[in-house]
Amino acid sequence: MNAELDFFGRRVSMAQRSRRRAMIVLIYSILAVLVIAACANSRLSSMVSNLGTYVIWAAIFACRLFLGGNATGGLVKPFNSKGQKDWEAPPSLLSLKLRVYQPISGLGAEYLNDERELQQRDRAHYWAYQILGVSIVVPWIILSLGRHKLGLLGHAVANQIASGMLLASLALFLTLPQAILLWTEPDMEPDPDFN
Amino acid sequence: MQGNQTTQAVGESGLFNRIGVLRAERGVSRQELADALGVNYQTIGFLERGDYGPSLKLAFQISAFFGLPVEAIFSTEPLRPLSEQIYGVKANHDNPEQSQ
Repeated sequence: MNAELDFFGRRVSMAQRSRRRAMIVLIYSILAVLVIAACANSRLSSMVSNLGTYVIWAAIFACRLFLGGNATGGLVKPFNSKGQKDWEAPPSLLSLKLRVYQPISGLGAEYLNDERELQQRDRAHYWAYQILGVSIVVPWIILSLGRHKLGLLGHAVANQIASGMLLASLALFLTLPQAILLWTEPDMEPDPDFN
Repeated sequence: MQGNQTTQAVGESGLFNRIGVLRAERGVSRQELADALGVNYQTIGFLERGDYGPSLKLAFQISAFFGLPVEAIFSTEPLRPLSEQIYGVKANHDNPEQSQ
């Protein structure tokens, strides 16, 4: 895990756990607002699909820019421990002058996880798997009870909740292991190469 | 005996170690040690605090780096200060009758 964030060319220290936690809370708040907005507009089917797409893209961008885990951007190193291959040509997003990707030559050691980080990664995925399972099963039980046993929920409301569940689960699937890692890692010593 | 033992943080790993002492003694920074071992410099901090128990491979790498046996660096029991241990052994070696 990196102690600082490369954010549009600026290096921001995230060595303190409180900062990382604040960032995670902010990211999930934004995602939650998007999910709720998508559900609230479910009467318009096109809006659902559009806002749903925004939720997924927001989660992907959160990973690329802040959380990491899937590419060289963000705080968490790539989970596959392979870094990124050389770019033959700059990716399309770079042409927009956005420093979303950090092109690297070869497989830099700074992108590889050591044995402790691999252990933490596995533990974070275990907990993410548990939480994701609960996040799917519990609302499903509530929905089943509400629709069939209690008769409390109409089909429209049930569909709204189901859409929200699906979107939230997808966002969690993309972001949760990284978020758990960043949330649980204690205060880090600043990177000696920083400054 | 307990009074002679150093008060070291055992951490989550349940292992006591002398990495911090050896590193300070030899003037090696965490980054230099991390580079030599091929790990993140944060991991050295976790090792020193006893919050992470290294694999056998990493333990042997650390022991090779410091040129000491593994048991001189890691222990499941609290480690005595190196000076006390070395001079204690030397005193016993110089005067074997004392040790008996």
